[in-house]
Amino acid sequence: MSEEIISFLKSKFADSIIEVTLEDRETSLTVKKEKFCEILSTLKYIGFNHLSDVTCVDYIKEQEIEVVYHLWSHTKKLRGNIKVRISRESPSIKSVVDLWIGAQIHERENHEMFGITFLGNPNLSPLFLEEWEEIPPFRKDFNAREFVRREYYEKE
Amino acid sequence: MKKNKLEEREITPEFLLPFGPQHPASGHFYASIIIDGERVVELNPHPGYLHRGLEKLMEYRTHVQNCMLVDRICILDPFSNEIGYVNAVEKITGIEVPERAKFIRTIMAELGRILSHITWIGVNSMALGLDSGTRIAWGNRERIIRLNEIITGGRIYPCYFTVGGVRRDLPQGFKEKIMKELDYVEKQLNVYDSLVFENEIFIMRMKGVGTFGAKEAIALGTTGPNLRGCGVKTDVRKDESYEAYPMVDFRVVTMKDGDAYSRALVRRGELAESISIIRQLLEKIPEGKFRVIIPSFMKSPKGDTHFCCEAARGELCFHMVSDGSPNPYRVKVRGPSFSHTLSEFPYLVKGVNIADVPAIYWSLDPCPADMDR
Repeated sequence: MSEEIISFLKSKFADSIIEVTLEDRETSLTVKKEKFCEILSTLKYIGFNHLSDVTCVDYIKEQEIEVVYHLWSHTKKLRGNIKVRISRESPSIKSVVDLWIGAQIHERENHEMFGITFLGNPNLSPLFLEEWEEIPPFRKDFNAREFVRREYYEKE
Repeated sequence: MKKNKLEEREITPEFLLPFGPQHPASGHFYASIIIDGERVVELNPHPGYLHRGLEKLMEYRTHVQNCMLVDRICILDPFSNEIGYVNAVEKITGIEVPERAKFIRTIMAELGRILSHITWIGVNSMALGLDSGTRIAWGNRERIIRLNEIITGGRIYPCYFTVGGVRRDLPQGFKEKIMKELDYVEKQLNVYDSLVFENEIFIMRMKGVGTFGAKEAIALGTTGPNLRGCGVKTDVRKDESYEAYPMVDFRVVTMKDGDAYSRALVRRGELAESISIIRQLLEKIPEGKFRVIIPSFMKSPKGDTHFCCEAARGELCFHMVSDGSPNPYRVKVRGPSFSHTLSEFPYLVKGVNIADVPAIYWSLDPCPADMDR
């Protein structure tokens, strides 16, 4: 994202943008949860038409989960990462399926791995794991090594 | 609803047909297809046969150890995964890589692309019943794998790139060895043309099948050769040039129809482009150091970074978060096959004949290992 786009966003959503890091071709924006959907749809409208990925990061110390939307513009040839922090206890966030159909599968994966509810996503059924009963496995308090020992070495 | 007297079960017009997970049909991937007569009503993908939780495993290992783990993301295209990972680490730590290492990495990444595309010719021919194409392509793949072994020491998993450069220098007489194989592959391209790409069966099975427009393709998350088959001129190697790509001249191959045949022709065109890229790089490769030595338990500064590269199948991104320890705090891999198989494939097969399902599936060039991670 160029500075032009940042200033445009700032003029529209002044109090929702918390932090901006501007790099050569790639910009990261940390935004508030309340307005992130509007910011994403504005960005889509001005040309960021490709949702590359949805990443979740579990910050266990802060008791927060960060959801990152990676955007790419085929016309402007620019990349943008929109970060939203949500609470770790019963995390939920609005789905962006209405903006990009491709977001459905990314959100489904993140629902399985982090236990985040994406409100408005039509299908959040398990994707990779079968009959999973533990806490979501990519969270920081899930110990994969201990799980493997318990499940495959000690269990008869 | 009629009742079948023999089995006492309801006969409905719809029928559930399993696709996969045996290897020749689909790779390690299972999809349940609901069919009505010969038409596909709905396809539900069920991935997970190759899920290893690589992203979680990386959190337990150091950056240098992870270079070996990322190979396993996509078996057919290991160099692209390595290039993405080491670049993400170098971006977050600010390590400068010697010029020679950049050239070596680019050469190997392009060899990996040739390897992947040739394998694709093989499996796609297999899906369409063109067995001679399969045999010849897999035979040629073996020659490039041997070249891999000579240069890196590993056949399928090279573990060649490391943070700060490559693990060892190119062997003596590498130019002749690589040139010989390139000449051979270039000669074989004509064989592929006559056996596969200009084959009437291939054209009839692929043309007009699995068509989508550029707008739909972008909304579904398509990247790489599949998107270039819809006429969108996009390539991470050109748009966000990395490694030695700014120093070479190449064409972004595009086709405008957006069907399975255009996607096939894009890959055919990319084979020729990759050969030309490697030739240019071999001419220009500088002398000098091939790696900078970094400590094994190198700590990376706090923060996050995002690096994208063009794998053989499309856009491959690494999002890395670091908390200041030698291990990454979180790595997210965006594999190209994830969207290709799980969001485009079900979309494209709606309403087609069941015989077209393997043709559409393989025209997207999916890699189940990359999809599951």
